[in-house]
Amino acid sequence: MRISLKWLSNYVDVAEFFNKPEELDRLLTSVGLEVESVENQAEAFKNIVVGKIVEKGQHPDADKLSVCMVDIGAKESQQIICGASNHKQGDHVVVALPGANLPGDFSIKKSKIRGVESHGMLCSLSELGFADSSEGIIILPQEAPVGKAYTEYAMLNDVVYDISITPNRPDCLSHIGVAREVSAVLGRPLNLPVVEFSKVKGKTENLAIVELISNDQCLRYCGRGITGVKVGPSPEWLRQAVESVGMNSINNIVDITNYVMLETGQPLHVFDANEIGGKKIIIDQSKNGETFTTLDGTELKLTGHELMIRDGQRPVALAGIVGGLNSGVTEKTSTIFLEAAHFTTQAVRKTARKFKIDTESGFRFARGTDPEAVVRVMNRACQLIEQVAGGEVCETYIDHYPHPVALPKIEISMTYLQERLGYEPSESDFKMWLERLEMKVLNQKGDVFMVEPPFFRPDIESDVDLVEEYARLNGYDKIPESFPELVHAPTDHYRSFVEHHTVCEALKAEGYLQALNYNFLGSEFQKEFLGDSATALSSAGLTGDVKEAVSILNPLSDETNSMRVSLLATLFKNLIHNYRHGNESGRLFEEGFVFQRSLRGEKTEYNQYQRVGLMAWGQAVELWSQSESRPVVFDVKGAVEGMMARLGASNFQWRSVTSENVPSFVHPGQVSHLYFQGKAVGFIGSLHPSLRKEYKIRHEVALGEFDVAALMNGYPRKPKLQEISKYPAVERDIAFVVPDTLAVIDILKEIKKIVGSTLVSVKVFDIYRGKGVETGYSSMAFRMLYSDSKKTLGEEDLSVIQDKIIHGLHKKLGLSVR
Amino acid sequence: MSKEKIKSIQIEAEAAIENSKTSQELYDQKVKFLGKQGALSLLMREMGKLPKEERPAFGKLVNEAKSQVEAVYQKKEALLNEQEMASQLAKEQLDLSLPGVGARVGSRHPVDIVSKEIVDILARIGYSVRSGPLIEKDRYNFEALNIPADHPARDMQDTFYIDEDHVLRTQTSPIQIHALEREHLPLRILAPGSVFRCDADISHSPNFHQIEGMLVDRKVSMADLKGTISYFVEAFFGKGLKTRFRPSFFPFTEPSAEVDCSCFICKGKGCRMCGHSGWVEIGGCGLVNPKVFENCNIDPKKWQGFAFGFGIERMAIIKYGVSDIRLFSENDSRFLEQFQS
Repeated sequence: MRISLKWLSNYVDVAEFFNKPEELDRLLTSVGLEVESVENQAEAFKNIVVGKIVEKGQHPDADKLSVCMVDIGAKESQQIICGASNHKQGDHVVVALPGANLPGDFSIKKSKIRGVESHGMLCSLSELGFADSSEGIIILPQEAPVGKAYTEYAMLNDVVYDISITPNRPDCLSHIGVAREVSAVLGRPLNLPVVEFSKVKGKTENLAIVELISNDQCLRYCGRGITGVKVGPSPEWLRQAVESVGMNSINNIVDITNYVMLETGQPLHVFDANEIGGKKIIIDQSKNGETFTTLDGTELKLTGHELMIRDGQRPVALAGIVGGLNSGVTEKTSTIFLEAAHFTTQAVRKTARKFKIDTESGFRFARGTDPEAVVRVMNRACQLIEQVAGGEVCETYIDHYPHPVALPKIEISMTYLQERLGYEPSESDFKMWLERLEMKVLNQKGDVFMVEPPFFRPDIESDVDLVEEYARLNGYDKIPESFPELVHAPTDHYRSFVEHHTVCEALKAEGYLQALNYNFLGSEFQKEFLGDSATALSSAGLTGDVKEAVSILNPLSDETNSMRVSLLATLFKNLIHNYRHGNESGRLFEEGFVFQRSLRGEKTEYNQYQRVGLMAWGQAVELWSQSESRPVVFDVKGAVEGMMARLGASNFQWRSVTSENVPSFVHPGQVSHLYFQGKAVGFIGSLHPSLRKEYKIRHEVALGEFDVAALMNGYPRKPKLQEISKYPAVERDIAFVVPDTLAVIDILKEIKKIVGSTLVSVKVFDIYRGKGVETGYSSMAFRMLYSDSKKTLGEEDLSVIQDKIIHGLHKKLGLSVR
Repeated sequence: MSKEKIKSIQIEAEAAIENSKTSQELYDQKVKFLGKQGALSLLMREMGKLPKEERPAFGKLVNEAKSQVEAVYQKKEALLNEQEMASQLAKEQLDLSLPGVGARVGSRHPVDIVSKEIVDILARIGYSVRSGPLIEKDRYNFEALNIPADHPARDMQDTFYIDEDHVLRTQTSPIQIHALEREHLPLRILAPGSVFRCDADISHSPNFHQIEGMLVDRKVSMADLKGTISYFVEAFFGKGLKTRFRPSFFPFTEPSAEVDCSCFICKGKGCRMCGHSGWVEIGGCGLVNPKVFENCNIDPKKWQGFAFGFGIERMAIIKYGVSDIRLFSENDSRFLEQFQS
């Protein structure tokens, strides 16, 4: 809400704030009217003065420029270069001196123009921001006093405050409303305009009779006729007033209704009385299927659920929101019917939202207006219309108010006030604030007050509201600081929170960077990336059915219209972003939610699952060590194994994936399921090469996704401690020639089985292909660590074990030693 | 057999030892002269051929020679050891300005770091975390929080709708309602999480994070609220920073306040961070509106409460000086890897 200080000063003494606008800003903000910006004209037009051209000469180096000596009321005249041609010696002009800052952040400095010094600028209307374009500079009348600040001369001394009015304070959506607040805070009198007409004549009922049908949505309907008005441009004061707060001047009648709305907060509407069919105004619901064209020409299809103002034949206004094209004021209008009404917030809000029509009137009705003020405001508008457009106000007016709004009676005790504030309030202050806020104390028994708020404060409904009134007017800075006692044992954090941070820390320790994405993305991209992988992902214990993705009804764009069913599509988007910014290798993970809908009977359910996803691309940078590069998917596998160890979940297995269970975005030959506690809990794999090709990613990409609930089932887990042997462990190696068709995991399993408890660990430490090894085979070196709990293993024991392995693997898997 | 022979062997031995270039050569000379089969040892064996009376004198001479050679040997051995160690050290010198091997630090997202830090601070005074669904029922996101349908307070939040009865939660406050419905009072809870508003621009993201706290007890005042927030502000931003309340409006609290803390960069003197006001807005708070209790079948005559909420991105912006909110959702490695600690 834009509030003009000049306008405000009509109702309350705010004179001191013209020089210190920021003090009113502080005052309003401190009582809950948050000032978002202050436009100070005096500040904006600083260093701009009235000057007189005492000499006009030609610029030696430019035909179109003149060199003027300008008297600015100082000792010396100033030399100023001017590009306009409409000025002559002796003219009074507007001079922007060095230090002035013109609209558009154009600051005036001393400068040289084609070698000649210029100490300012002679201004045009557009340069001062008063017009979009203008020809020539402003020539002022000869009476304009030379040297005087232009703001003073032109009376440009207004300050406009942009106040963010919270939804509970509809009473402050007007100048009188804000003035009332200022008067309450400062204890100054509020001067309301005195309403009187020069003469009254005729009856409003002769212009139209009013039938109030929907009296549950229109609580009060008033109207008054004015005959013989002359529609025309607004006088200067009116135009300036409405424009100062950002509205366009239309004509004198419309401007008055806007002016009075901005003054009082009560919206008004004017009908051309001659256009009211059947001389009848009916307040009723619309008819399903009928159409209505608004003032600005928009055609609306009505549904039978809108509150309408109708005449004898047709709808003439969308009640409280916008008038109809068929009945508004035009240049030909001479008789008007002025409507002032009280509609319920719900009725107006619902319709305005449905048609997305945002008007000053609709906004105020939807927030709440004062039902008692309706007649007073209507008469105020009549008075001003009579003043600016002539005509005669009807002697009678219409006022339908079948069920007057009742005020609440609120009981509040000083004890309660103290309890909620946390400090001892003063009873006399309390009474003073109530009085200044126009709240009536109906009675007082001991420390208990019975209070009745005024009609314009619909937000005051109960005792806590009065606590707030006392607290804010007395100052929130008066509230002391105390510390609530803790008398009960604290409860535990919810599991999902603990799980989230545990998993994140486990992957951070693997060198992965935590990403945090929006929970939604474009449905097209999600479909394109995940493809038809629902069955495959389900075999890995995950969701990912793009057909069951949850859509947003009113998305901001197609890029954000669908909730994610997997973390991998958004992580892939992160990869693309990184890749395009030159980050050719990266390790990201995300722990978060995915969503999928399901049907339970007739009802759609929205399920939310906690997941962790990994995305790795390019080789992790090895600056100087010689180790050769390994497939990136093993990087992801290592990270997952590290994570599992940190979660105390080392008892897991990797299992191969049958071709029908490979997600479409994954390389069919580079994929593995993770099994834990007997079920699939996720997978790892490399990105399908076709996606790399499509997105021009030259480096390998690997990814993985896991179900956090499954990983964390049984967490925290205690380690199962094992006795450590007193005898030293011994290492022995054997290399076998292994066909590529055999999985290493099967060899390792077999070795474990053969050796039994003496085997501490077995690892693959070298894989060799090439010279000396047949194609389709590799030489694979295993390193075993043996230890016996009862004795030190001797050479003989070891050769027995080694032989058992060699024979065993030959028999079981057909492997031979290399 | 003569003194001369002993002497000549001694001289030969000492020369050979002195001339050894490496510890291996030295060792060879030791074996040659001092070993069991060495020249000096062999002399001892020949002693038997001498007349009995000459034997002691001869033995003494041989032993003297042997110990002198021994001394020369030891001196030489020490010298060679020293030289060889010096040359080994020189050879083994490494450039330890090369990077360490295998360190991969990883990082946490700044929004999550801040969220966890806030939780840790408030957990110290008895708060614990609750959570709730991101796709929320109208009742929990609005109705029960005293924001009925077609109420002006709904204008404050641009809402993403899923269906007639479900929205993407616009605030973490619905978690208050779940807790009030399910749990025993008194209560101190925190609700960190993702929230959604459909009004994205340069300074607003459609999916951001909030954390909300609520305390319910028999008697709860604005002073209790201010004391709690003030404790939090000092713990999070630094000792000595002040807390300021400004009147505001939230449908689920009454009275309501916006929370400012004195700017931690300029300590309240005024700088760019705080728009030269000395204060930075960090969140909102208030006493739980009795209507919220009533909506959860709790008697507001018996129970009171306060609630507060902060925007986590906003806190992270203030704490780390992040210049552009897009950085929080782009997940650019170059941004993320700066949050290792």
